[in-house]
Amino acid sequence: MSSATWRQFFSFNKYSQITARAVRQSLKETERAAAEKRGLTALRYQNWENGKGGEQVYLNPPETPVGKGTPAV
Amino acid sequence: MLARSSQAFARAAATQRLAAAAPPNARNMATLRELELRLKSVRNIAKITKSMKMIASTKLAKAQRAMQAGKQYGDANSEVFNHTSTEEQPKRKLFIVVSSDKGLCGGIHSSVTKATRRAFAGEEQEAPDADSPIMVIGDKSKAQLSRVLGQNMVLTFNQIGRDIPTFADACGVADLIVKSDVKYDVVNIVYNKFVSALSYEAGVYVVMNEHGLKEAPGFKAYEMEDDVTKDLAEFSLANAIFAALVEGHACEQSSRRNAMDNASKNAGDMIDSLTLQYNRGRQAAITNELVDIITGASAL
Repeated sequence: MSSATWRQFFSFNKYSQITARAVRQSLKETERAAAEKRGLTALRYQNWENGKGGEQVYLNPPETPVGKGTPAV
Repeated sequence: MLARSSQAFARAAATQRLAAAAPPNARNMATLRELELRLKSVRNIAKITKSMKMIASTKLAKAQRAMQAGKQYGDANSEVFNHTSTEEQPKRKLFIVVSSDKGLCGGIHSSVTKATRRAFAGEEQEAPDADSPIMVIGDKSKAQLSRVLGQNMVLTFNQIGRDIPTFADACGVADLIVKSDVKYDVVNIVYNKFVSALSYEAGVYVVMNEHGLKEAPGFKAYEMEDDVTKDLAEFSLANAIFAALVEGHACEQSSRRNAMDNASKNAGDMIDSLTLQYNRGRQAAITNELVDIITGASAL
C-alpha cells in the first residue's frame, strides 16, 4: 500500500520483523519451536563519541535480570 | 606409582647417609617435582584444547549449512547492485566490520581489522574520507580498531555470534544504523570470506544507499516510488549484513577448530619431550642412589 501509516513510526526492517513474529506465533506447536529459535536476538549496542564508548544498551531487554542476584543466605 | 616409590626409596636411603650427600639429591627431586607439575598442567591444557576442537568441529558443520543458506541473500543483493552501478565514485563510505566477541579463534579478528586499515590507507582503491564512519560488530575487533581508528567509530554491537546469527540480528543492526542517521554514500561490509575449512580471507560487500539506487541508470528504468526504494535500500542492507554474519560465523568456527588442533598438537609435543626429560631425571636419580648404596656397601 502506498499510503501506509506505519512508515512514520519505524523502518521497513522493523516492520518485517513484526510481521515475522506474528507469523511465527501463529504456527503449529511443532513448527513453532523451530521457528522461535530463528527469531532470537540478544543484540547489544553502544554509541561512540570521540573515540569513547557510551553505555551498552540491550535492543530487546531480557525479562529476567542477568547476573546480579543476591545469595540466599 | 613407580616415581613415588623410587622417591620414597631415595628418601629412606638418604636418611642413612651424611648430610653432605643430601643437597644434590634434594635438587634432583625438586626438578623432578617441577617436571611432574608441568606435565600435569600441560596434560590438562591438552584436554581442554582437544575438547574445544571437538566442539568447534560440530559447530562448524552446522555453521556451514547455515552459511550456504544465508549466502543466497547476499548473492541476490549483489545481483541487483551489479545491474545498477553508478558512474561517480562515492566518497563517504560507511564501514561495517563484522567479527565476533570470543577469542581463541586464530586470526579472524585481525584479518578484518587489517583489511579495514588497508581500505582507509587507500591501497587497492581510492582512500575514503578521513572521517568516514565505522561500525563494528564484535568486541574483539572493536578493541583492535578503537586503538587505531577510534575517532571514526560511531556504533558498535556485540552479543552476536554465540549461536548461528539470525536474520533478526541482521535486521536489528540495519534498523539501528538507519535510526542513527549516519550520513554515507555507500556501505562497505568487511567480513571474512570462507575459502575452505582450512582458510579464509577478508572480503567486502558493497551496498548502495537509497540515493545511489535512485540515481542508478539501470534502476531508473523501473520508476519505483521513493518509499519503496527506501525500503529496498534498507532491506538489502539487512540482507548483506546477514550474509556477512553467517559467513563470518562459519569462518570463526573453522579458524577456532584449526587453532585448537594446532594447540593440541603442540601440547602433545611438549608432553612427549617433558616425559622424556622426566624419565631421564628419574632414572638418573635412581642410578645415583644405587651407586651410593653400592659404594657404601662395598666400604663396609
